[in-house]
Parts: sequence; C-alpha cells; structure tokens
Amino acid sequence: MRKRGINPFIIFISRKIGFSLATYFIFLTIIFLVPRVIPGNPLATLLAKLYRQAQANPELIRESYRRLMEEFGVGRPLWEQYVDFVCRTFRGDLGTSISSYPCKVAEIIAMNLPWSLGLLIPALLISWTIGNLMGAWAAYRRQTAVDNVLLTVFIVLSQSPYYWLAMLLLYLFAVRMTLFPVGGTYSVGLIPTFSLRFIADYLQHLALPLFSIVLGALGGWAIGMRVLMIYEIESDYIVFSRTLGLPDKKLLSYAFRSSILPQVTGLATSFGTILGGSLITELVFNYQGMGMVLFRALLSLDYPLIQGIYVILALTFVLATMIVDFVYALIDPRIRTGYVGG
Amino acid sequence: MALRLVLEILRIKKAAVSIGVIIFIVLLGFLGPLFYKVDPTEAVGLPERPPSKKYPLGTNTFGQDILARVLHGIRTSLYIGTLAGLIALAIGTVVGAVAGYKGGFTDEGLTLVTKVLYMFPSILLMILIAAYVKYRDPTLVALIIGVTAWPDLALCVRSQILSLKEREFVYLSKMAGYSSIRVIIEDLIPNMLSYIFMYFVLLLAGAMLAEAGLSMIGVGITKGVSLGIVLYWAQAMDAVRRGLWWWFIPPGAILVAVASALLALSTALDEYFSPRLRGE
Repeated sequence: MRKRGINPFIIFISRKIGFSLATYFIFLTIIFLVPRVIPGNPLATLLAKLYRQAQANPELIRESYRRLMEEFGVGRPLWEQYVDFVCRTFRGDLGTSISSYPCKVAEIIAMNLPWSLGLLIPALLISWTIGNLMGAWAAYRRQTAVDNVLLTVFIVLSQSPYYWLAMLLLYLFAVRMTLFPVGGTYSVGLIPTFSLRFIADYLQHLALPLFSIVLGALGGWAIGMRVLMIYEIESDYIVFSRTLGLPDKKLLSYAFRSSILPQVTGLATSFGTILGGSLITELVFNYQGMGMVLFRALLSLDYPLIQGIYVILALTFVLATMIVDFVYALIDPRIRTGYVGG
Repeated sequence: MALRLVLEILRIKKAAVSIGVIIFIVLLGFLGPLFYKVDPTEAVGLPERPPSKKYPLGTNTFGQDILARVLHGIRTSLYIGTLAGLIALAIGTVVGAVAGYKGGFTDEGLTLVTKVLYMFPSILLMILIAAYVKYRDPTLVALIIGVTAWPDLALCVRSQILSLKEREFVYLSKMAGYSSIRVIIEDLIPNMLSYIFMYFVLLLAGAMLAEAGLSMIGVGITKGVSLGIVLYWAQAMDAVRRGLWWWFIPPGAILVAVASALLALSTALDEYFSPRLRGE
C-alpha cells in the first residue's frame, strides 16, 4: 500500500544523488591532497629537473615550467590552491600535460576514455550476467560434483589478475593460433567511423581484452551468487513452498529474484576494482585507453596528467554508482511500490 | 583446544589441500633461494633461452635466471602481502571495533570516513599514492597497500561488534567498570578471532595481487624482485608477442595458485564456522 507524502522512490534517488555528489567532492579532496601531503614532494623534484633543462635549452621548457608552477599553485597557501583546483575542475580545465606539452589534459583524456569504456562496460555486463547464472546453477547443484568443480573454477578465476589471463589468451589465441590480432585498438590505417568495416575490425581487436576481463571477473560474481542462493534456498519460505509441492523451477526463480538484488548493488562496489584491472589489461594489448595514458603518465612523472586522469576516473566511478542506484530503485519492489521499512 | 581445532579443520579436504599449496609455495620462497643459489639480478647466461637443464625456467632478455627471480619474487611478494595484510588488519579492526563499541558521534565520524574510503577503488588509491613516492622498497609498498585495504574489514568488524556488545557478558564487564579498551580487547575481539583470521587470509591474497598490479602499471617496488616485477619486465620486453612463455607463465601461475589457495582456505573456514553453507 502506498503511503501518503513524497514518493519514496524520489526520496531514495535524491538521497543517493546527494551522497554521490558528496563522495565526488571527497574524492577530489583526496586527489588534491595526496600529492601535497606526501613528504619528499616529487613535484619539487620535477620542477628542479625542468629548471635544469631550461638552462640548457628552449623556452618551451621554461614555458611548461611556468605553467606547472601556475597550475599547481606552487608557493600559494593550500586552501587557495584547493579552491582554485576545484573551480578549474568544474570548468573542465584539467591543466596542461608535461610529457606531451602543450596538449591539454582534457583533450588527451577525451581521446582515450571512450575506448576504455567500450571495453569496460560490455565486459562488466557480460561477466555479471554469466557469473550470476553460473553461480545460481552451482548453488542449485550444491553438494554434487558439478558444484565442487564449478566452485574450484570460480575461485581460481576470481584470483587470476585480468592482465595475466590476458597474457595467456594473447599468447594462445593470437601468437600461437593467430586467430586474433596481437594487440592495438584497430588496424593501422583505419579511421574510426561508424562504418561496418571499422566496427568489425574493432570488435576483432576488442575480443581478447574483453574475454580476459569477463573471465577474470565472472568468478567473483559467481561465488557471491552461489552463497546468496544457498542461503535463499534454505530459507523458510522456499522450504515451505517446496512442501506445498511447487516445482523446482518456480522455487529457483523466486530465490534467484531475491538473490539478484544484492548483486546489483555489487555492481557499484566492484566497478572500481574491475576498472582498475581493466586499465592494466589495456597495457597487455596496447589497447588505446586510459590505462595506456595512465601508464605513460606514471612513467614520465606527468603529474598534471595523472591528476586529470584521476579526476575523470573518479567522475566515471561516481556516475556508475548513481546509475546502479537508479536501476536498483527501479527493480527493487520495496522501493518501487513505496514500502518504507517494517 | 587450539590443536584440536586445527586438526578438525585439516580433516576438511578443501582446507587441507589449500594449506598444502600455501605451505609448498611458502617453502619455495624461503628455502628455494637457499638451495638454488643463483643471483636473480646478475646476467648469468645467454638472453632469452628456453628452459633447459642449466636454467630450469630459462632466462630473460637480460640473461637473468628466471627460476632465481621467481623464487626471490615469491619471498618478496609474501613479505609484502603479510605485512600489508597485518597493517590493514590492525587498522580495520581498531577502527571497526571503536566505531561499533563507542557508537554515537565517534561511530558516525569513523563510519563516514570508512565508507568514503571504501567507495574509492583501493587499487586506484594505491597507484595514486605510489606515484608520488620516488623510492619504493617492499616495506613501503606494503605500507601503501596496508593503509588503503582496510575499510571493508572495518565495516564488517563494526557490524559484528554491534551485535556482540548486546550480550550479557559484555554487560557484566561494563557493570564491573571496565574501560572500553579493556572490554574490546578482553570480551569482544576474542569472540571474533576466527572471523578476523579468515579476513586476514583474504587480505593477504588481495595484497599479493595488489603488489603485482602496482608493479604492472609501473609503480611497484623500485629495488628488489617480486612476482609483480618479473611480470612487469615480461610485459615491458614484449615477452608474450615474442613467445617467451617461460617468462610470464610461472610468476603468474604461482601468484594465482597462492591467492586461490588462500581464498579456498577462507571459504572452507567459513563453511566450518557457519554450518548452513554446508547444507546440513
């Protein structure tokens, strides 16, 4: 029965959005603080290095030095730097890269982020679907050989880093069997368009990275689902329904429906971990995404770029959480129909 | 009592196998380098030789012996994993216990901090911190992993404490006028030991994998050899595309084996302590 007052669905969503915004602010603060509170300040080292180079040669370095000083607000009070950093971020100004000066950080990220998402999002959804189905099946066949074998496979997969699975798959299917390209995002010479030819070529390059993340991520989903389902199958209402003579299939669909809810929430909490893993997987395939950019930025101590990447990754992450919350509110009947506690 | 518990756990097949695998790999890491005395950082042979009698796991591009590197790598990775696990365990238990037991404002504050950190993907936070530290020895990397890996545990400990603190024996201690710290240490923690141990096992596995991830993205240890560093160089020197399988398969396989064994052990313990999962 619906209670009077504001729709609980709206309350739920707005509370979640509020929390996400607050979280993003705190993330920005962490991203701002980490470089500035770590003793030994590598930024100073970098500046000194640039300064030495500047004496030997061109204005280019002097110019990038000046910009770096300005953007990182060296010598100004911390709070002033912080306000400046937050304002710049919300204007979309992420600073200027050092290693590929004078490219804007925002431009570099805009060029690479879509490819990362193109890998991450399908991988996440496919692994989630397959993992949950397999986990539910293992729970249904618990205490049998099927469950034992499946559980072992899930455990090993969930503890395999994606990038190592990626190395194995690349070696097996691209190097030994030459079924797939050995890396890259699309064939050299092609221009990214929505033509059929390009999409086919891209999918061919996408297959192995995608498969390694799906394989590495599904174990975790399956283990979680298996435990949830076992608890659900043992619960009183299922046991009672069984005594009433309801068919197994019906019972399983009941159990599955209530077990899937925590797994939807799990999508939000695991997003970050899977994101981190997929960034490293990009390296193995020379896949042109944020992982490659982050790797090069870390290697060349390009601090503005590192900071910019984090600002955007945190945003991606917060947005993903918000979407998951929204979907959760849609599918959870307790929220949808306005059941408020009890 | 403790011995009987260990013996009973060893009777579970899954636990026994996992413990066997873990002990085997620990022995490889600690005794291996004593018996196989090849310097992991010296060029000892021709570059990129496949496994042979002389070099059981072949050599890499720099002519270094891969078996020696893997054995030393196991040792370093185990060290980082254990230390990081202990650090995370200490922080997580203290934060969770204090928040749960004290309640009120302390709880609100600590839980908020924990939840925010829990939201920030720990691997990304580790990379961010490591990026700003110039020289990273194993202890420092363990510290970085340890201080970022605890929020999950803290939330779990907190909820355990919340249910435990309503029990009679805690009331009795409170009535006797014991301090909060004394109640937490004497009454609450001992009741969660099995739980905390299970968690430590998971943290250990997570920390070893995190070390490898940090190394792969280029912010791992800057001195010494770990399993992650072996994988990093295999990746940097394009070992996969050039078919040098003996370079990237062994370190990854050992990492996966030990991490899987640790997870399996924790699952077995979980089933042992909560019989419902066994289906009885």
